[in-house]
Amino acid sequence: MNTPHPTDATLDIHRLLDEAFAGVAMSPERQDLKEEIRANLVARVGELVDTGHSPTTAARQAITELGDLAPLLDATPASGRDEASAEWARHRVRPAPGFLVRTALLAVLGVAGLVLLVLAATDIAVPSGWLPLAVAVVAVAAGAGTADALRQETSISYPVPTARAAGYGLGVALGLAGLGAGWLHLTGAGLPWLLGGALAAVASVVFFTYLGGTQTNRHKPWVLRMAANHHLSDRFSEDPATAARFGLYTAAIWLVAIAAFVVLGLSAGWAWSWLPLLGGTVVMLLTLARMQFGPRPSA
Amino acid sequence: MVDKSTLSDDEVLAADLLRGHTDTIVLGILRRTDSYGFEIFKRIRDSTGGRHEIKEATLYASYRRLARDGLIESYWGDETQGGRRKYYRITDAGRAVFQRNVAAWTVTRDLIDTLLDLAGRADNPSGGQPA
Repeated sequence: MNTPHPTDATLDIHRLLDEAFAGVAMSPERQDLKEEIRANLVARVGELVDTGHSPTTAARQAITELGDLAPLLDATPASGRDEASAEWARHRVRPAPGFLVRTALLAVLGVAGLVLLVLAATDIAVPSGWLPLAVAVVAVAAGAGTADALRQETSISYPVPTARAAGYGLGVALGLAGLGAGWLHLTGAGLPWLLGGALAAVASVVFFTYLGGTQTNRHKPWVLRMAANHHLSDRFSEDPATAARFGLYTAAIWLVAIAAFVVLGLSAGWAWSWLPLLGGTVVMLLTLARMQFGPRPSA
Repeated sequence: MVDKSTLSDDEVLAADLLRGHTDTIVLGILRRTDSYGFEIFKRIRDSTGGRHEIKEATLYASYRRLARDGLIESYWGDETQGGRRKYYRITDAGRAVFQRNVAAWTVTRDLIDTLLDLAGRADNPSGGQPA
């Protein structure tokens, strides 16, 4: 769309749509209809504006063309009482066979890499050149699987946009590669492996913090409505600020833990170096318990 | 925008006939590619050269009927601006019903052509003579 002020046009049409639905008893079906109509109206307004109409007249004309909503609303039930299965059928998401096949293949790759690493750890002779490859395979398989899973639509969430899903996938791959490199160092590889691994792990934490901090809600409207009505949702979805704070706390905890891990490993020896990681996990879990399930602040 | 008051009686009749086949027309569009409401509406409007259109409200009712009967399925697109579009895709059952309806329409069309010729329309514009 080549409009100078697309938002003006959109604002008008959203207002007119709300007016058209004013006073209508809403139900999930009707909300669904309204959202469907909304996107189509926006598309129609875009077309009208492209042919030279002003945004205001375009919005007005689009809503006029839509015509009388009453028959359509009559055919759409106001409330679904005995409709649990109909509800399920409506929000059902088609299984994606391609996704299942990809996930299975990635899992096979990942497990193969893990088996190789475990064999090496149990003193069964594995050519040492294979171990970095095994770590890489595990990291890439897990990362690709994560990205692929996030790209899938579920019955309660929209698919994550491709770039963001790829970002999460990269974060997972980096994190696992970092851990794997650390492991390789512990089992005999040189210091560069440890440094590279620590760098990858820190990059992964930073990456996750950024992605978590900029993540917007991808839950479907009907899920949000249900959550708001029944107070079933968790603290983080109710209050994104708390979720963001938790993300930052976690990043801070892990930065400190990883730094302490490296420092302790280089000074007191690697036998004790894992303690900060354990401590970091405990602190993170306590923070989570406190922030997610703690007493609610009075409003 | 086609204003109904400017249409001739013939065109009003054609629009009524068209409306009776809304579901099949929608299936015919979705047979080629997944699509959303406004695009389907536009495709119908444009492929009749703008002379005919099926009201959007009629189309929304059609989508719901088709979805209820399992002939099409819907999913939400991932547009970031202006609201998510609800896309429809045809199911195998939908394709089967489309084929059946097309076959039925072909038979009906031939039948009506034959019957009208037999009825011996004097004003037959194609110049066909009554037997």
